[in-house]
Formats: sequence, structure tokens, C-alpha cells
Amino acid sequence: MNQPKEIFVRIDRCMGCHSCEVACAVAHSAGQSLYAALSETPTPKPRLYVEWVAPDTAVPIVCRHCEDAPCMHACIAGAISRTPGGVVMTDKDKCIGCWTCVMVCPYGVIGRHLEEHKAYRCDRCPDREVPACVDACPVKSLVYQTATAFSRGKRRTASHELQSGQKG
Amino acid sequence: MVMQKEEAMDKSRDPAVQQMIARAEAQNVTTVWDRYAAMTPQCGFGDTGLCCRHCLQGPCRIDPFGEGPREGICGASADVMVARGLDRAIAAGTAAHSGHARHLAHTLKKMAMGKAEAYAVKEPGKLEAVAARLGIPTEGRQEREIALDVADAALADFHEKDTPVLWAATVVNPERAKVLADLNLVPKGIDHEVSEIMHRTLYGVDADPVNLLLAGLRCGVADLAGCWMGTDLADILFGIPRPTVSSANLGTLRADAVNIALHGHNPVLSEILVGAVGAKEEAARAAGATGINLVGICCTGNEVMMRHGIPACTHSVSQEMAIMTGAVDAMVVDYQCIMPSVVNVAECTGTRIITTMDIAKITGATHVDFSEEAAAAKAHEIIDQAIDQFRRRRNTPVEIPAVKTPVVAGFSVEAIVAALSGIDAEQPLKPLVDSIKSGAIRGVCLFAGCNNVKVPQDRNFVRMARRLLRENVLVVATGCGAGALMRHGFMDPANVEALCGDGLKAVLTAVGLANDLGGPLPPVLHMGSCVDNSRAVALTVAVAQYLGVDTHQLPIVASAAEAVSEKAVSIGVYAVAAGLPTHVGVMLPVLGSRLVTRVLTDKVKDLTGGYFIVDLDPDSAADKLLAAIDERRRGLGLG
Amino acid sequence: MESRRYVIVGGSAAGMAAAVAIRDHDPHGSVRVLSDEADAPYFRPLIPFVVSRKKSVADMFLRGRGPYRAQGIELSLGVRAERIDSPARRLVTDHGETIPYDRLLIATGSRPNIPAGISGLEHQGVFALRTLEDARQAARRAEETTRAVMLGGGLLNLKAAFALLERGIEVTLVVYSAEVLSQLMEPADALLIRRALDQAGLRILTGCSAGHILGGDRGVSGVVLDDGRELPCQMVCIGKGVRPNTEWLDAGAIKVDRGVVVDKHTHASIPDVYAAGDVAVTYDPITGAPIITGLWTNAVEMGRCAGANMAGYPSVYGGTFGVLNATQVARMPFVSMGIVHTAGTEYETWCRGSADAYRKLVFTPDGDRLVGALFVGDITNAGLYRLVIRERMQVGGMKRQLVDHRLHYGHLLCARDRG
Repeated sequence: MNQPKEIFVRIDRCMGCHSCEVACAVAHSAGQSLYAALSETPTPKPRLYVEWVAPDTAVPIVCRHCEDAPCMHACIAGAISRTPGGVVMTDKDKCIGCWTCVMVCPYGVIGRHLEEHKAYRCDRCPDREVPACVDACPVKSLVYQTATAFSRGKRRTASHELQSGQKG
Repeated sequence: MVMQKEEAMDKSRDPAVQQMIARAEAQNVTTVWDRYAAMTPQCGFGDTGLCCRHCLQGPCRIDPFGEGPREGICGASADVMVARGLDRAIAAGTAAHSGHARHLAHTLKKMAMGKAEAYAVKEPGKLEAVAARLGIPTEGRQEREIALDVADAALADFHEKDTPVLWAATVVNPERAKVLADLNLVPKGIDHEVSEIMHRTLYGVDADPVNLLLAGLRCGVADLAGCWMGTDLADILFGIPRPTVSSANLGTLRADAVNIALHGHNPVLSEILVGAVGAKEEAARAAGATGINLVGICCTGNEVMMRHGIPACTHSVSQEMAIMTGAVDAMVVDYQCIMPSVVNVAECTGTRIITTMDIAKITGATHVDFSEEAAAAKAHEIIDQAIDQFRRRRNTPVEIPAVKTPVVAGFSVEAIVAALSGIDAEQPLKPLVDSIKSGAIRGVCLFAGCNNVKVPQDRNFVRMARRLLRENVLVVATGCGAGALMRHGFMDPANVEALCGDGLKAVLTAVGLANDLGGPLPPVLHMGSCVDNSRAVALTVAVAQYLGVDTHQLPIVASAAEAVSEKAVSIGVYAVAAGLPTHVGVMLPVLGSRLVTRVLTDKVKDLTGGYFIVDLDPDSAADKLLAAIDERRRGLGLG
Repeated sequence: MESRRYVIVGGSAAGMAAAVAIRDHDPHGSVRVLSDEADAPYFRPLIPFVVSRKKSVADMFLRGRGPYRAQGIELSLGVRAERIDSPARRLVTDHGETIPYDRLLIATGSRPNIPAGISGLEHQGVFALRTLEDARQAARRAEETTRAVMLGGGLLNLKAAFALLERGIEVTLVVYSAEVLSQLMEPADALLIRRALDQAGLRILTGCSAGHILGGDRGVSGVVLDDGRELPCQMVCIGKGVRPNTEWLDAGAIKVDRGVVVDKHTHASIPDVYAAGDVAVTYDPITGAPIITGLWTNAVEMGRCAGANMAGYPSVYGGTFGVLNATQVARMPFVSMGIVHTAGTEYETWCRGSADAYRKLVFTPDGDRLVGALFVGDITNAGLYRLVIRERMQVGGMKRQLVDHRLHYGHLLCARDRG
């Protein structure tokens, strides 16, 4: 089976612009455009979060669709399952808003739509070739690759840094 | 292949531009469309006006979806942030138009003082008319004395003084002047308003969104003054435009000629170049050329087309495409709307990019330090550069699209009135107003502004103009809006039959025949460059005065269907201040504030009678403009 | 190798999670699940929705939903296990069947705790909501009910109470403790929730209990409280906790201490027998104390661990907090976990409240480790707090963020990188 692509974060690149969050909210709106999304009810929500660690680190936090997926096993309504492509999905219709998934997610990436009383999370934009957040990142801090390709890229960067004496 | 065609359609609806896009792609030349693709998706905070960099505590951004910050670090709300940002855009636009006008005022003054030989009063009648409006005595005075007083009055309008800005207070009808005065929208000085916007939008000053917007409106009126002054002074120095036959699009370039593209805005430079060409023809032929071919781009193109019938090569977003032909030997620019990227494209073709203004230099360009005092010499220097470049490129292949449309341009208000006098010499406006009353002309729409890369070039202009003409709306155009329409045949009288509704067709034909044109006026009347939007306001004012009503009651609307520049924002604001329903076909960065959006699109109507219509869809935008026209017709008791 | 025979007694959370885990690890063995209920396995926490009629029974079944998609799991419904014949490795059922096993899981769960001393329990309309069948009956009874009395102020009863409220029934909650949800928080912590419950129209009587249930031909007619007050009603729900189903086990042969005692691999005291879920004794990772919980989430986690171990993949069960609940009642979300009862203890406690949110963070007396957290109104990133508690992290520089409820994953990540 083909290895699925995942969203990886290169934290050192993130500038904290929050563009990914806006793009995510728009991608999960009914109108599918920023202008339309602004006036929608319920308010479209981003499914990833750019947080900040003092003094200078911005950290995009994205659902990893964990292999073990504690949220999926903890769900008391059977609303969370994994697609064949490895994406952990929350079925809005089945969600009862008990927030057990929020309680067990060690990354804090499950959002709560209080107006709808439903949990929501990253779905890796099933209708898009590249997830909206990755597309929106102006500095390519978010990348969409297979795990193998991503770690290969990282190794290459590391060896390049060693060669040019940038490290250490 | 089909895909490529569709992609090209998404970028431009102009076949000549499409051909050059393909050429750029084949030659790996980066264009504005490539840079746009690289920039998308664009930052939503900026897009909605929710990004503020006015102080060093920032940058701040407000989350439009309410999860993140709801106010800036200083406590500025989304409404305040958006209003401040809009105000600064208006101030920038005002600074640019009035900078253009100030340049003309200085030129007029230098001319009057005998310091600028290349210039003269070409339109004494206009000088007298403007002087009279300003209360400057003319009886028994020398032309130069009057010109000096007019120039001084113009320069005085920039700063705060005992009188308000005369180019605002004296140009509109008394009813409109009262509306503006009652709302405290009459500017005290053009620079004063720009400066005050910078002050009030500073960290910790004005935090009342409505107050900010009113200041923006006042600054917009200052922009009208700047534009009007620009038009007046250019007409005095270079002549009032009169109907003239020309042509447009990349097919106006000639492979065997020294092609000089005049790009930018101010006729102060381009007029001198037009005048200098004759003396250089010999040198061009000596270099192996058949002659010198001047073409225009953007509003410089409009200025020289309006006054000299010089063809327009292309406009706005496709300015790089002129260079892409490989046939442009020199692109001479002054200021405004010149994409720095022209230098990069020119690197591939050898085209000389010649900057001429101290405030507008581009790295990689050749700079010729233009001055009014040494205008002729500088013009010769520029043309020599172009001839030199022609010599270099003589035997290299060029690709000039065989696309060229006939254009009849030159419809200043004076020219329109003169044309109408052919029907009724006593009351020239009567035939126009009667046609409006009878419904033969349903209303008037001004198309203005730029081409925006976010819209397939010309799409909005063409779709909307097509619809409005069919509905018997008299369409006038300025700036790159005029450019778009001329490139698609809307200024070719031969197309009246195909484009216009019966009522409009009859009026255009009657006026044309009365003026011995042997046919109708063109479907769309070209009123000039973007500062010449003042001409459209002047026409509105004249019609209002003839009818004895205020401007906001007239079935006259405006559209900046593909706006780019902050100048388009300030023009839109003065159109609204003048009482016109004003369409903008791209998103203004205001959606982040519901309050500001509501004020601009609705509440301001209660103040000036004008309002913004923001609609990205050209078809529904045309519907809305027609509805606005009909609403006003009903208001005047017209069916 | 001959394929293993796995037998699981109990078809709810622990049993089914174990079955799926076994299937993940061992595609060849036979997996058989016995359940004494007539219904196929279902999401038990959803049964209040059957009472409120917001969900149909068909929406509640486990198989094919969430992670419960494994094939080849044999289900035997309506079958009760009678005893384990450990030497012969056989399970004997009430149908007289003997089922040989290579690995056996005890996942018989728990049943409602019915306090002694209440009379009149036999009347129609008295419920202790536990099974889908209970819920069906309660839903029917609700049709002829205008008033209901709930005995007990725990979470299950609150959910049932809201289900009845949604059906337009007047509901009175009789709580013996000083405040509702006393297992999950202290009275002072419950102010916001209590206000929300009051506003939602729930009538709550605290500090009292029911002595006597009145009734006749048409079933329940009222409840008499110990203070003599009489509450007319047509329905009574008892929600006083649960107790493990261990009666069928031979306490002489298998070690039972309230529940089935297991080691860290969920292995019971007899060979090849495991236990998980409400029936098993586990331990609290904070205090190390043995505990029995009635939590679906814990049952699943423990069941999955047991399944892995049974299939030959050694897996350690990390225990569970005595308190580990998330839910939302009356539009007020809350999460309570770890040690949250601090009255009379040495724990370092940080409480912060506002008009619409409240939080309480409990640290060890030296302030170095987080041991409990309660969030009411705003439960952002509760999962991270759970992680910090469970991993017994030295809070160090994160303490400010923890206390201010600003902790996010970036802090943990950067702490790890620096550490």
C-alpha cells in the first residue's frame, strides 16, 4: 500500500502569522471563501493552532492522526474512526459533545464547537490535494509529505548543515 | 492545449496579452500572474483589514473567527483597525493624485516665471475659466500673470489657509457644496488632510471608527480636489482633449520602428517627448528604423491619446507584456502603477527602462533626471537611448501580436458639451438630459480604475459594460478601465450597432451625425486618465445644475471593476462623497469589521447619498448598478 | 502452530476492545465473546439518548463504528458464564455449554449499586439505568410520567435527569451529599455547574435521601424522604454508583478483592485468565492505590491492554485515575481528573473562577507535580493536563502556564527539547 502523506511541522520556520489557521477555517466553511466564511453561523473554526512559547518560538500544533489514536478509543459514542488513508475522523453526526476526546488528546488539537455542541478536528482536507493549512503557509513551515520523504529531507538538511559547518 | 487556453483566459481576456503570456512561459520569464500564484493563498488578516503595523508594539492581527485576539495590543477593535487601514489607503491615494497635480502646478509656475521654456499655455480659454472660478482677475492681465496666480492658488490649496480647498469648494454645485460643508467634509488643505489622516491613525489617537471614516471621506474630497486640479492644469498647459482617432493594443508596436512606450501618469514628461519626436526622426532612420513609434501604457497612454491620438499599447496588469514582445526599445516611466518587475522582464529583451523622477527610481533601470527647466534636452537624451537600443535589437526577432482595435477618444466635458451643441447650441446639455428623461438613456455609468491580477484581465469591465450598454446606459470611462474597454472594441464607433441598446444607439448616432462624424460616437466615451475622473464628476455636476437637483439624485453610477491602487480607493471615496453608488469589483480590506462594511455599503448613504457596492461577480454587480440607476430614476419621477 | 482460542466473558467496553485488539495482533485465532444481554454490544454511555429519544437504538451499536470494525469475532448473546474450570481451561455457561479456551478474559463489568434501606423498590417505574433494555423501559415509562425523582447526584443520574427534562418531565434530584457531583468535585467547585443546573430547570435537594418509595397498581406514585417530605412522582431513577460483577467467580480459586485482582499485565491470579474493565481492580498511578472504576474510557484502555497481552504482545497497563470524567451538562462543559478533593489535605491547590469558568489545579504538597485538575466552562487542552498528571512530570518552568490554564503542546515540546 502507498504510504499516505501527513502534515509535518518544521517549527524552526514558523513565523507565527496564523495564516494556516485562517485558511483552515475557510476550508471548513460552507462558503469556501474567506469573504463568505466571515459572515457564517456557526463560525467556521480552524483545526490547527499556532501557539507561542516565550521568548521567541511559534509552534503550529496539528493533529497527528496518532497510530494509537487515544481519542478514537476513548470516544463513548463511536464517532471517531480511522479512514483507510490513516486519517482519524470525527463524525459530526455521531458526536454527542461529551468532550472525552478533548480529555485524552495529549496534543490539544481537538476543538469544541460550543454553538453546535460538537467536537471537531483536522480531517486533512479530504477534498483537496494539499491540506489548506499547508497551502497557506508562506514559509513552508508546514509540509505535506510521506513520513519517509520527510525524514529523508531532514537527513539531507542535517548533512548539508554539517558540511557547511553551520551546526555545532 | 485546451487547458492552456483556459489558463490563459483565467489570466487575461485580451488575446494579445494571452499570446504574450504564452511567450513569457516559453521563455521562462516570470510575470505578475506567476508572482500572484506564488503569493496565494494570501494572508487573510491583511485581506480583511485585520492587520495593523502602525506601532512598534505590533504587528497585531485580530482573528476574524473570534478564536484568537479580538483586539490589538493597544486595545484597538477590529472596527478601529479596519477604519484606520482604510483611511491610510485613502490618504495614500490622495497624496498620489495631488502629487501629480502639484507637479503640474510647479510646472505652470515655472512656465509663468519663464523658467521652463518647453511649456506654454496651450488653452488660454481654460486658464481664464479656471481663474474666474478661483476669483482670480483676468481682465487686461497678461496670460503669464494669470497663470502665475493660478499656479500659486493651486499650491496654496495644499496647506491649511483662510479658505478651504478651492478645488473642492468651488467645483461642485451649491447643493453638493452644502452637503459637504454640513458634514464637515470640505478639506482645509490637501496636504493637511493627508497629514491629519497620518496623525489620527497613529498609535493612540483616533479610536472611533465612524469618526475615522468621516475623516477618510474628507480626505477623499481632498483627492477630488487633487484630481480636478490635475485635470485643470494639464488642460491649461497641454490643451483640452477633443475627439481624436487612434488605436489600441500590442499591435500598435512596429517591428521596424524605434518603439518608445510612455508609461506612468503625468503629461509633464510625455508631452515633451511627443513634441521632441519630430526632431529625432532623422536619427532614427539613420539607425535603420522606419521612424519613431510612440505608444502609451496606463494613464500616460491615456493622456497622450486624449490630446494627440497616440495609440495605447496595453494597460495596467499587462504592462510587462509590452516588453515581452521584444519590440519595445525604451519604456519611459514617471510615477504610479509601474511594477518594479518591468526591469526583470526587460533584462530578457534588452528594453531600456528609463526612470525619470526623483521619487520613483527602480534598481536596474536607467535613470534620466528629468526637470521642467531642461525638459527638451532630457527628452532628446531619452529618445537617443531608445534609438541606441533599437540599433542593438535590430536583427533580433520580435513577436508583436496582430491585435489592434480602432479607438475614438478625447471626450473631455468640454468636448462632450461641444458635441452636444451640434444638436442644441443654446442649451448643449438639453439633448443629453432629455434623453435621460425620455429613457432613451437610462443612466450613466463611469468605469474607472485598474486591472487587478485577481480578476481575469478586463473580464469585469467587458461583462459589465456589455450589459449596461445593452440596457441603454451611457458609459464613460477613464484610466485603465478605459484601457480595458478600448482594447475590446468598446471605443470603436463601428461597434455601436452590436453593443448598444436602441435608445442609446439613437442618441450616439444623432450626436455623431450632428457633428459630421459620418456615424455615431463610440459606444464608450473615453474621458481621460485616472486624475480625469474629475471630468466625470464635472459632467455629473453640470447635469445636476442643469436639472436643478443635487448629484446624489442623478441616475449616475461608477464602477472600479478591477481596482488595484490605493488611488482607486480614494477615487471611490470621492465618488461616494459626490453621491454616486460606486461599485468595486475586488474586495476592499474592510470585511474584518462589520461596522465599517455596513457604513461603507449602507449607512454613508444617509450622509452623502452615495455608497459602495462591493461585488466580485460582474453580472450581479451590473444588476445592482442598474437597480441603483432605476431607483434614482424613480426618485426623479422618471419611469 | 495451532490457532489460539480466545474467550471473552462480557460484551461491553472492555470485552469488545479486547476482542478488537486480539484481532489486530492475531488474525488467525478464534475470538468468541459472550454477553448476558440480549442486545448486541452497544455504547453504554449513550443510553440516556434512548430515554430522551434523541437517538434510536440502531444508532448505538458498537460493531462497525469507531474502532470496532474488526471481522471474525463471534458473539454469543444472552449467555451467562457460570464458572471457570481453570485446570481444564474451560468455561461453563448457564446454557450448560463448556467452552475450551487458551486465553480467557473476565470482562463482566458492573451493575448498579442499590443502597440498602430503601423500601418500595419493587414498584413499576423504579429504574437503575444500566442496560439498553433498562433504557427502553424507562423511555416507555416516561410516556406516562409528569414527575420523576432521581436518587443520587452523580454524573449518570444527571444525564438521565436531562434526558427526562428533554421529554418535558419535571425532575427532582435527591442528593445525599452537600452538592451534586460529589465524586468529581468539592461543593465549592460545583457552584457554576449547580447554577447551570438550576437554570436548566432541574430541582435539586441536597443533604437528604429517600427512605421509602410509594406506589400502587399504576407503579410508583411518590418518594418519601428521610426528613419526611413527600415527592409525588411516577418514576424513580437510582444512580448510586456501581459494583463489579464478581459473584460468579470462585473467590477461593481466583483472587477477588471487591474486583478481580490483576497484575500490571492485566493477568488474574490463575493461568491464562485476564480481567479488564469495571470488574477488575486496577491502580491509581498518582497514589498507587488499588481502585475499581466504572468508566467506559478506562474499560476500553484496559481491555485493549488485556487483548494485546492475551495475543502474546506484552503490554503494561498504566492504571487510571480514580476520577477521570469529561462531559457537558446544562451547556456547562467540565473535566475532572486525578486528585480533586483536597479539603483537609496538604496538597497545593490553585483555584480561579470567573462568571463562566472555573478551574482548580492540585499539586503535590511540594508543588513539583500536578496531581489533579478540574476545569469547568473552559476545558481547553485538558488532555495535556492529563498527560502531565499521568507522567508525573516535574512541572518546573511550566507551572505558571499550568496554573494560568495556558499550557499547550508547544510548552511540552520545548521543555522536552531543552531537557
